[in-house]
Amino acid sequence: MRKEAEMTKNDLDDLFAAVRQQPATVSDGLMARVLEDAAANQPALAVMAKPKRRQGFLAGLLAAIGGAGGLAGLSTAAIAGVWFGFAQPTALTTVTDSIWGTEASTISTDTVNIMPGLDDYLIEG
Amino acid sequence: MPFDQASDVPDEALLVLYANGDPAAARELAARHLPRVMGFAARMLGGDRAEAEDVAQEAMLRLWRIAPEWRQGEAKVSTWLYRVVTNLCTDRLRGRKRRSAVGLEDAPEVADDARSVEAVMVENDRVTALYAALETLPDRQRQAVILRHIEGLTNPEIADVMDVGVEAVESLTARGKRSLTAAMAGQREVLGYEEGS
Repeated sequence: MRKEAEMTKNDLDDLFAAVRQQPATVSDGLMARVLEDAAANQPALAVMAKPKRRQGFLAGLLAAIGGAGGLAGLSTAAIAGVWFGFAQPTALTTVTDSIWGTEASTISTDTVNIMPGLDDYLIEG
Repeated sequence: MPFDQASDVPDEALLVLYANGDPAAARELAARHLPRVMGFAARMLGGDRAEAEDVAQEAMLRLWRIAPEWRQGEAKVSTWLYRVVTNLCTDRLRGRKRRSAVGLEDAPEVADDARSVEAVMVENDRVTALYAALETLPDRQRQAVILRHIEGLTNPEIADVMDVGVEAVESLTARGKRSLTAAMAGQREVLGYEEGS
């Protein structure tokens, strides 16, 4: 005979069921505090760093031709080329005379037949 | 992260998103876990809602702090939270016992707790009696009984939370229920159980 004063297994299960049916609800205040904590402890959003531009485009070109010193040489070469272009042939002979002596000026500027012996061969197709 | 898809994202993925600055991840994690954390804390603390809220907030704070270092695939977030809440509640309960042991004229501990429970939570007498009886249990038995019979975890899940074998869980829950039965002996009439019910 079961003593009436004792709790039975079923009684205990009923109690557990009663507790389960009373879940502790989350108050708005608690949720707000929890989310504040989350925001306060959250690492900052990581942004992909843009690669730093160390030089501009023109500065890059300048570096390719050797910097400011190279630019000076470039200028000289450019100016010389312009001068050659405008200069008359006689002016050029002046330059060559100064380098090779007067003999050069007597050489005809016509085409020179380097290998006369081959003319017969060249005529034949 | 679109709201309607948020519920499909696994907990561990949400933690990674949170640790990388996603603004919506914390809200989803809190929605999923805070109710259970709050409920478990309240039951472990004998129904004291104010203390349970403190414990719940602290447990979630520890989750936010560990998120950047969370190792994927090691433990479930829910299991980890159960462990943290257990440890926090154990500390608080020890603090209570220390404080109540100091005074010479303290009323019996059960009566004190019964008054505070009634003050903070609307409960019927049966539930109050169960909470009072749970507090008389050793820590590990109380935890096992609450996890099994109130939180509804399976024995393997409880074994995971408590870091013991399944047989140990079965033993703890069985002993716990016997202890509860003994603690509530003589309460049947008080609790309104009638002959044959």
